[in-house]
Amino acid sequence: MHLRRDIRIMNCRETRALFSEFYDGELNQEIAQAVKGHLAECQECREEFKNLKKSLKILKKLKILEAPRNYVNLKQKH
Amino acid sequence: MNHVELNLIVSALEGDSNALNELFSQHQKYVFNIMLQLTGDTARADDLTQETFLLAFRKLHGFRCQSSFRTWLSRIAINLFRLEFRRKPKHLSLCLEEIRIPSHQDNPERVVIKSELQWCILHNLQQHLPNKYREVLVLRDLHHLSYKEISEILGWSLSKTKTCLHRARQMFRQQFINNKCKAFADDYLCICEGILEL
Repeated sequence: MHLRRDIRIMNCRETRALFSEFYDGELNQEIAQAVKGHLAECQECREEFKNLKKSLKILKKLKILEAPRNYVNLKQKH
Repeated sequence: MNHVELNLIVSALEGDSNALNELFSQHQKYVFNIMLQLTGDTARADDLTQETFLLAFRKLHGFRCQSSFRTWLSRIAINLFRLEFRRKPKHLSLCLEEIRIPSHQDNPERVVIKSELQWCILHNLQQHLPNKYREVLVLRDLHHLSYKEISEILGWSLSKTKTCLHRARQMFRQQFINNKCKAFADDYLCICEGILEL
């Protein structure tokens, strides 16, 4: 990673290593801009990031279920 | 920790059973779902949730309010899950790659397939992710906990949490690609037949 005209330039490996934090909005503005900049120029990384988002969208389709019984009352019997 | 929670904890510690009930009731659904997502097995999740609350009840007097109640309870739950998996290694179930369902619009099995999507996600979590990656993925992407809270629950540094989450997500995604999920492959072989509508 290096600086060029106040913009951080990153290669594919560096960018992909930050995908997870980028997705979560955990990167500082400068690094996030660098990731965005790389994604704008690199189709392969765009595809990779798209796949990451897709898989997490699938994961989030897992239903949250109601608890099958009341565990609090069980506790009080002990 | 907010005032309401703090008051409940103080009252519970002073023996107020209503406060204790309310405090624990607020987290039943959360603990059960974590256990289900970690084990993939309703009966085991039920047992482990019960154990979590029993243990939390016994340990409550030692709770020092240094973290939120949810963090403290989650730590108990995760430790019980880890202990359970050391005692009884996970059972082998049918592998996703072995399932093929014909793909056409009038397939009467589509109703079944919708519930299979839930199975498919749980299966990928259970069979293809090591426990530590499953733990971090479940806490972050299904329960939206912060990196800091996850670090406290799992007993990891912030840096380890970030690294493991990154690897967990990569591994989870790769399984869908390897299994030719509809969302990732034109020549898909997956069981949900595109109902994901991504």
